[in-house]
Amino acid sequence: MILAGGAGERLYPLTKAKAKPAVPFGGIYRIIDFTLSNCLHSGIRRIFVLTQHKSLPLDRHLWLGWSSLFRTELGEFLATVPPQQRLVREWYRGTADAVFQNIDLLSHERPKFVLILAGDHVYRMDYRTMLQFHLSKNAEVTIACTTVPIEDASRFGVMEVDENDRIVGFEEKPPKPKPLPNDPSQALISMGIYLFNTETLVRAVIQDAKRTDSDHDFGKNVIPSLVQQGTHVFAFNIRKELPPSFHYWRDIGTLDSYYEAHMELVSPNPLFPLHDDEWTIRTYLPPLPPAVLKGGAVARCCVVSPGCVIEGGAIVEHSILSPGVHIGKGAVVRHSILLHRVRVKEGCRLEKVIVDEDVTIPQGEQIGVDLERDRKRFTVTERGVVIVPVGVAF
Amino acid sequence: MAKARILVVEDDDKQRQLYCEELIAAGYDTLEARNASEAEELLNREQIDLIILDINMPGVSGLELLPRIHELHPGMPVIIHTAYGSYRDDFISWLADMFIVKSPDAGNLVEAVEDLLSRQREKKIQREVKQEP
Repeated sequence: MILAGGAGERLYPLTKAKAKPAVPFGGIYRIIDFTLSNCLHSGIRRIFVLTQHKSLPLDRHLWLGWSSLFRTELGEFLATVPPQQRLVREWYRGTADAVFQNIDLLSHERPKFVLILAGDHVYRMDYRTMLQFHLSKNAEVTIACTTVPIEDASRFGVMEVDENDRIVGFEEKPPKPKPLPNDPSQALISMGIYLFNTETLVRAVIQDAKRTDSDHDFGKNVIPSLVQQGTHVFAFNIRKELPPSFHYWRDIGTLDSYYEAHMELVSPNPLFPLHDDEWTIRTYLPPLPPAVLKGGAVARCCVVSPGCVIEGGAIVEHSILSPGVHIGKGAVVRHSILLHRVRVKEGCRLEKVIVDEDVTIPQGEQIGVDLERDRKRFTVTERGVVIVPVGVAF
Repeated sequence: MAKARILVVEDDDKQRQLYCEELIAAGYDTLEARNASEAEELLNREQIDLIILDINMPGVSGLELLPRIHELHPGMPVIIHTAYGSYRDDFISWLADMFIVKSPDAGNLVEAVEDLLSRQREKKIQREVKQEP
């Protein structure tokens, strides 16, 4: 079950018209492609995507790029499930409530295990390794986790484990996170990926649904209560259990984390290998001509997608261009992310800017150069990234 | 102490009357509903401490009514009382606190009511103790 129903408020205005998992990433992809590609590489062929807000672009992407891979004759499916309001006449009130509202789907499918995934993470994982770990520990719940510097850990669910990887403490976003026993500079955090024995999951979400004081969230409510009740909850530490090429994991929760993850892709040694033939990331791409750099155009350290045209004299550096982007003559684009079909007219200058889909930047416009001016017309993040939203008029 | 009030939702008149007689003999007050809509009406109107719920009923079934009970009265104790044990396979039935397969004698049902109500009382006491400064 892929949780794709969040409002994506922290990624606004990129989520103005679409659910977070449908937001483009890395030029040609949508964020959900990374999780779905993991499922494909792991042989997971029965997938529910629980959607809610602004789901049409996500539905469309899944239909165009993914649905044809699943053979219903073999019992395979990729189904999007908005709130059916069969159990409660409400929208999904949290991650655990989204699963609770769909327990009838689990009754029908009768899986032995349910993997709960987030639709807004960028990482590579063969979930079969996690399942092997789960079985070897005789676990009822296994949580994928990684380590982060202790000073960053307050943003996450922090775990305390014993020598056998069993979770003995779990705190969501603690002000004073507990460090690893053998390394006081690091903390073990949840990646929001949960593998449950089905019966444990159903009991847990029902128990949570009956609580009136719960936010119905796995990290905040369900997992801490399971740990407290003595359920066999184990931590699958990817830094211990997987090879280094699988250690990359980013939660694309905020505009700054979205931006930083992109800049990592155009760094000299990207940590996330997009060009791994053994682990291709699938997506939907319309038929587009190849990218073209015209005479005198300069592109350094960039991701340039199909259908892009960079006109003569334009300079593009440390940037990501999604399909169909057009950069006009003499324009300068640095440290920026231009999403699908953005048109940057002649002589523009963009520095540290994210431009949403289909926006045209008029001739000679400067964005990201004078942040005071930009704050009056656009969203500017804490780290000084300017977001030009979809539908903006100049 | 006031008598606990049990709502018996059962479409079979004879069975419903039998359960109510047994419960009254055990010292409870009872309310009767022949179907889901009568049950919902009583739930909106009356003070109820526990529900005994049949599944196979004409119209809205017990498994459809159960989430509605949960939504209107979260925490309301519910005992599913059905002739078909296979309904346990439907995870929605797990919303109930107990699942009892019908037997000719209503004794086990009365025992279950006593057991569940005493667990509810314990829970209430624990909550009150926690809330005390």
